[in-house]
Amino acid sequence: MRLQLAAMSLRRHPSRTLLAALGVAVSAAMLLDMVMLATGMRESFASLLGRNGFTIRVAPRGTLPFDTEATVAQASSAVDAMRAIPGVSVVAPVLGASLHVLGTGESVTAFALGLDPNVQGDYELLEGANPSAPDALVASDALLRATGARIGDTLDVAAGFDPQLRTYAGRRRLVVSGRARFLFLGAGDRAAALRLATLQRMGGPERRDRVSLFMVRTDSGVDVEHVRAAIERALPRVTALSTAGAIAEAEHRLSYFRQLAFILGAVSLIVGFLLVTTIVTVSVNERIGEIAVMRAIGVSRWHIVQQIVVEGIGLSVGGAAAGLVLGIVTARYLNSILRSFPGLPDAIDFFLFQPHAAFRALGLLIASGIAAGIYPSWRAASLPISATLREEAIG
Amino acid sequence: MTALPALLSARDVHRDYALAGAAVHAVRGVTLDVAAGEYVAVVGPSGCGKSTLLNLLGAIDRPTRGTVFVAGTEVSTLPDRAATRFRLLNVGFVFQRFYLLPVLTARENVELPMAEAGVPVAERRRRAMELLGYVGLAERGAHRPTELSGGEQQRVAIARALANHPAVLLADEPTGELDARTGADVIALFDRLNRDGTTIVVVTHDEQLAGAARRVVHMLDGRVIRDEPLRRRA
Amino acid sequence: MTSLFLVLLALVPAVAVSAQRIDSIAPSATAERSIAIDERLAADAGLRIGDRVVISAEPGSPAGDTVRIAAIVRRGADPAEVARSEYRVRLHLDHLQRLIGYGDRVDRFAIRTAGGAATDSVIRRVNSRAFGFRAYRSREIAVETSKTFLVVSRFHRAIGVITIVASATFLLCIMLLKVDERRRDVAAMRLMGISRATVVWSVMLESSFVALLGSLFGVGLGLVTAWLVNAHYQAVYRTPLRFAIVTPGTIAFSVALSLVLGIGAGALAARRLARTAPAALFGR
Repeated sequence: MRLQLAAMSLRRHPSRTLLAALGVAVSAAMLLDMVMLATGMRESFASLLGRNGFTIRVAPRGTLPFDTEATVAQASSAVDAMRAIPGVSVVAPVLGASLHVLGTGESVTAFALGLDPNVQGDYELLEGANPSAPDALVASDALLRATGARIGDTLDVAAGFDPQLRTYAGRRRLVVSGRARFLFLGAGDRAAALRLATLQRMGGPERRDRVSLFMVRTDSGVDVEHVRAAIERALPRVTALSTAGAIAEAEHRLSYFRQLAFILGAVSLIVGFLLVTTIVTVSVNERIGEIAVMRAIGVSRWHIVQQIVVEGIGLSVGGAAAGLVLGIVTARYLNSILRSFPGLPDAIDFFLFQPHAAFRALGLLIASGIAAGIYPSWRAASLPISATLREEAIG
Repeated sequence: MTALPALLSARDVHRDYALAGAAVHAVRGVTLDVAAGEYVAVVGPSGCGKSTLLNLLGAIDRPTRGTVFVAGTEVSTLPDRAATRFRLLNVGFVFQRFYLLPVLTARENVELPMAEAGVPVAERRRRAMELLGYVGLAERGAHRPTELSGGEQQRVAIARALANHPAVLLADEPTGELDARTGADVIALFDRLNRDGTTIVVVTHDEQLAGAARRVVHMLDGRVIRDEPLRRRA
Repeated sequence: MTSLFLVLLALVPAVAVSAQRIDSIAPSATAERSIAIDERLAADAGLRIGDRVVISAEPGSPAGDTVRIAAIVRRGADPAEVARSEYRVRLHLDHLQRLIGYGDRVDRFAIRTAGGAATDSVIRRVNSRAFGFRAYRSREIAVETSKTFLVVSRFHRAIGVITIVASATFLLCIMLLKVDERRRDVAAMRLMGISRATVVWSVMLESSFVALLGSLFGVGLGLVTAWLVNAHYQAVYRTPLRFAIVTPGTIAFSVALSLVLGIGAGALAARRLARTAPAALFGR
């Protein structure tokens, strides 16, 4: 009967109940969004970095991968030095440069990665074949659209552009061997991948035996931090960054979003709690006489509290359920805004729905709804019966 | 005093409370016995302490001094939880303003004390309909209090008070909000209840209701000033 | 085009600074050059004006130029670099060119002109020379490099809208509750003959006062919060950049919005209360 009483009490003022549930839903949605924001960046970034199993990134000293145009000299000897370190299983050198696809009109500029297609973690082949031959490349859909090229077509490409003299250090004709999705670039970015040696030669003397980045895969079970430190000792001209370190660095740069998420999430929780408290308090105050009568006829204090708390739970659960849907919708919208950051990899999401985190957050909101109902109901159930009945009679 | 064994027994009961900083002696040294099956009316001017006395007898309130026994249990010292349980199973209350829960139907209002006492659903439903039939409202069980007249609401309240077979029925101004005709219906119902064996103590200003009782206790300034002898049933 | 806009100091990471004091080393045969470092580097490496350090273009290289720190520079409030942890070093142009083997090259020129018309003329003439240069107004570059902050602005605006919607919902809910609590008082007033309009106006007056009070409180809270945000993030990112700025326009907008929402919620609640018949207000 307590459940029935609670349900009937909520239905007594339908517009009030609906509005309160809506308020709780908005609170729940904001809380859910902030939980998604707090964990999303980290999880999606970690997932991206962990793809293909590369656990360490090695960049020119003092820089982050592709943060600047600096390169590491004597790349070959660096690769040999790293391969000699115990625990290192694969070293994949990568060179980044601008590539210009020449045609009859204005050239199309793309971002090119020079790499070893057999040991790379920068793209996923969607169609065709890897650029195993020295004169092959794979291209992103955006580049293919911009050049009007298809798999099998030959492109006239150049690198090492000198803007003052308007000359190129190297020029080649390369065959489009495949179509690829570049993991660390945006979906609309024009990009290509070709063999490292080809891009180095096209870059002229400035690019000889130089790379932008090494990606290192360690043996399973090896202490990654230990290998990372060994790389930095062996090669003082580089900075080695483990996946954990990269995530930490990214989190530091984006710490604002995590802190915003925490603050707004806390505010949402507090507001949801206050809303349920207010609703329950007003509802209880309206029914003081009824509560006193129930106590008079023998309904225990605890059972009255239970009934009122169940009303609070009903509001919170209803609101949380609606908030879950609302939160996912608003998260998609907010994510679409943040995904338009220039240069952000397509695979990164700021708002990531993780069921266990989401339900934990909503559970917290529901628990706060329970707590919100306890004090006002206990207070009302503890009022002196006769005095209350007398006051209600006068009122 | 009566020769029959006392179902309700108050011994030198006092009830004082503070009101706006001043001490109010609502009940001063009342000693009263009510035997099983009696029908007692407590009358007196407003503020004489009769409602307070009723609350003390029903274990709603605790005396400042003195003892109260109901059905052999000293209720004046019971802790809140025990007093609540005692009221549920032994005392039926009827109030001036009915105090039915507006969100429940008449039948559900009658079922409420039985639900609290743990009576199974089918049993309490059956008994609720039986009680509504007793008070003449069997066909109104599905109606909400706002759909019932004042007299009907009071009869539902009486049915609710009888739900758990209480030892005593306590009524505080049960006809106070009713017109003369519906009040008479309630008075007749009380009479019938008493004839059927229910012990009733009623507090009232209503002369007709007081006249229907078998014994009238007069109060003034918190004291019993007159206790009219038992009248035989007609 | 972007190559022209490699900020000179983007090459700085290639210039490693060994942060060791070398007072004991004899000055080099050539005249000692001086550099300026940013305050962050000075703080982290414990460097002071007058200290000598070795700078080189190759990380970890023992060879390099011994220079003296002549100045410590305050970092500008540039939002583009706020999240980056790099250090900034200033050298004389010819020194850096020689150090990194750049020859007689630069990444960009910054030009100050005599004014609006002169700027247009300079841009036109430079762009027509076709020496591989392209001239831009500083404002155009600011817009181009501000895309990140436009995204952040959009995000903040979206969060702001969501917060306002949430606040309006809460406000309406609480107003309805509070007004419901006074049903009996209003019923008694209506039964006495006080008109609906009086009831509505009295509730609205009350809600207006509360809204105004709340707005003033909110402005104060916003100012304090902005101060706290700036203090916190300036410390975290070690920058003089102001992250939150409360302008008269912001205050005016916030106060206007909160007044509209507060009074609106009061009006809705008052209308609901006044529309109900007095007897119903008593629960009959």
